[in-house]
Amino acid sequence: MPAAAPESKTGYILDKLQSLSGVVPIGAYLVDHLWSNSYALVSIEKYNQVSGELQTVPWRIGVEAAVLWIPLLFHSLYGMYIWSRGKSNALSHPWMSNWMYVLQRWTGLLAFVFIGWHLYTERFGGHGVTRYAGVAQDMTNPWYVIAYLVGVTACSFHLGNGLWNFACKWGIAITPKAQHAAAWFGAAVGVGCTLAGIVVVLGFHYAWFPLGGYVQ
Amino acid sequence: MADKTFIVRIKRQQRPDESVRWEEYELRYRPHMNVIICLRDIAEKPFTRSGVESTPVSYDANCLEEVCGACAMLINGTARQACTALVDDLEKPIRLEPLTKFPLVRDLVVDRSKMFEDLKRTHCWIPIDGTYDIGEGPRMAPSVQEKGYPLSRCITCGNCLEVCPKVNQRDPFVGAAIVSQVRLFNMHPTGAMHSAERLEALMLPGGIADCDNAQNCVKACPKGIPLTESLAAVNGQVLVHAVKSWLRGE
Repeated sequence: MPAAAPESKTGYILDKLQSLSGVVPIGAYLVDHLWSNSYALVSIEKYNQVSGELQTVPWRIGVEAAVLWIPLLFHSLYGMYIWSRGKSNALSHPWMSNWMYVLQRWTGLLAFVFIGWHLYTERFGGHGVTRYAGVAQDMTNPWYVIAYLVGVTACSFHLGNGLWNFACKWGIAITPKAQHAAAWFGAAVGVGCTLAGIVVVLGFHYAWFPLGGYVQ
Repeated sequence: MADKTFIVRIKRQQRPDESVRWEEYELRYRPHMNVIICLRDIAEKPFTRSGVESTPVSYDANCLEEVCGACAMLINGTARQACTALVDDLEKPIRLEPLTKFPLVRDLVVDRSKMFEDLKRTHCWIPIDGTYDIGEGPRMAPSVQEKGYPLSRCITCGNCLEVCPKVNQRDPFVGAAIVSQVRLFNMHPTGAMHSAERLEALMLPGGIADCDNAQNCVKACPKGIPLTESLAAVNGQVLVHAVKSWLRGE
């Protein structure tokens, strides 16, 4: 214990908030975002109706800032600070959980870059109005498709593995058996989000409506 | 018949500020040798493989039965106890290096007093003496004893700190061993009287929040202590304590 370290609990609180913000609101929003975008697999009209509703929520800027932008910035920047305090050693100790530690950091960085670009092109570039035709137009560009596939996979991995970390770090999953179960739960969420994201991206790219069967 | 031999490579450093040198020794093989025997053989005849006279290698060792924790070092890159590292099981040449997460003293000797300081800082003991006889403590349920016993086997060797990505010069993290001891002493009915002090200490810099769940500690522990279970359990205890004291305005 270096004598110079400040005897303050601020670090503990910030670490806990960093961990919490990844699950709520950010993780919850990722699931919701994939959900609402999955309407693109139903029909153009349905997608435009749902996205139109989301784009006309009252106090929109305030809601976006409180629920998305501030938590995202805090989670990312403080997460990078936490990363800078660690010294990964997966090459000399190649255990699976150690690789997960490394991957959690790199997928976080990938997700940060992707989300920044995604916000710039889809939120600010379009002045907050997104319609099916616009997204489908972007998705004709194969580089967009690749960027989305990588971005969605990184975000989904980061959430799935993060849920496992959260369960361990908040004392929810204590025994090895419970931590194992939490890891499988996280893996299911991660794989589920990745698959949903990939299908939505391909749906836009190929103008494909696999869930359109119920539309009368 | 010529004696069977094998090679041991040792990372040596006279003083922390001196340059590193690697030395190779060729030792006569006998069955059931461990790494401590190798170091004793070198001390007997400190001539390197090329015949140059050197000095006996400095190392820490005491019990020779994996209960004191002193002889932790990197053996073929793995943090483990030299006394239980059998030559028969090791890949040759055998590579010996000091632990890297503690200040080097000389050769294979490192200064692990960080762990002792952190045990003190986190109040990892049970006060049983007062200025007068404070009497017997409460009885301990056998089920709690069974949970506590594995934790009490910690030998403070430092292997869990050595493999932890969050234990390094940039971060004062106390490491899994200390967190596990907090769990042990909080579990004890008399120790529990001071649990708040331990949990408070773990909210300070270097405390429990520094654990980032790489879970290397549990794999490096020579005593099979469920360290990741201890980390999660104490994480929960600290959190409950933090939320309660925040709500009560303490």
